[in-house]
Amino acid sequence: MRHMLCAATLAALTLPAIAHSQSAEDVLAARQGYMKLIGLNTGVLSGMARGNIDYDEDRAAAAAANLEALVRYDAPGLFVPETSSDDLANSGALPAIWDNPEDFGAKFAALGDAVAGSTDAVRGGQGNVGAALQQIGGACKDCHDDYRKPE
Amino acid sequence: MEGRAERIRVWDPALRLFHWLLAALVIANWLLGQFGPNVMTLHFWLGYAILALLAFRLVWGFIGPEPARFTSFLRGPSAILSYLGGIARREPSNWPGHTPLGALSVVAMLAVLLVQVGTGLISDPLDYVNIGPLADQVGSATARKAVGWHRLGGNIILLLVLLHVGVILFYRLWKNEDLVRPMITGWKWVRRR
Repeated sequence: MRHMLCAATLAALTLPAIAHSQSAEDVLAARQGYMKLIGLNTGVLSGMARGNIDYDEDRAAAAAANLEALVRYDAPGLFVPETSSDDLANSGALPAIWDNPEDFGAKFAALGDAVAGSTDAVRGGQGNVGAALQQIGGACKDCHDDYRKPE
Repeated sequence: MEGRAERIRVWDPALRLFHWLLAALVIANWLLGQFGPNVMTLHFWLGYAILALLAFRLVWGFIGPEPARFTSFLRGPSAILSYLGGIARREPSNWPGHTPLGALSVVAMLAVLLVQVGTGLISDPLDYVNIGPLADQVGSATARKAVGWHRLGGNIILLLVLLHVGVILFYRLWKNEDLVRPMITGWKWVRRR
């Protein structure tokens, strides 16, 4: 309990500004790593849905469980100001994120809703992966459309 | 003016069907792209249908009836400038087909739509669902850039369609020439020149 309180206090102190020991580049690297983790696990489900990867129930469930864990991560700390595509050359995060924080938060929450329950949903056969993946991918697209800079 | 206007059949049935199908599918697919479901299966299928229509039009431009042929309506700069010189006159063009200026619009729309299908086919929006069927044939950097090109293409198509409708209204209201009915019936008042 005390540890949780400490963590919460720490989080409150470090958000939304960047902690002293971190640079914007550090936050960007962490954010891109976070997105890569989401992409890596979604890619497993995508590969199985398309038949490019052989369906393996445990592997599919593990990928979905990773996604469920990733969306529980407290992501606002990854979207601190001055890390937009206007601020950093290799950032793909459009300034619109900081102009519409409520909508951005809603779209991120929608990813959480899409991912919820997918660990069980992808079990029971290759045919079950597609429906779960479409929900997740749809949430990716809805947010990318407005907030991810096309390369 | 050289001679009197007469009513002749300019647009053949296949070309008219092509025109209205293309108009309907392009509008539908633009709307699906902007406002449609985030799983874009229908957008993909309409894109393939549009590609088939474009392929037909390119072939028809070589083997179709005279007014449909590229060689009959693609003209040089002097013909275009000469036509532009008289465009403000408040009288129907009575042109037997695409005017030298309108030909530019035909080429622009066909080219932009072809490029738009191409960028769609190779797009990878990193959502693991709406991946273009040829995205794995190009590098991943190209596939990601294609998403931006496809979006830009959508805006250009919107402008071209608005220009198209605007010019038709200009002919109707300013030059007192109905260009819509001939594209429905095929019959158009023309003056031989």
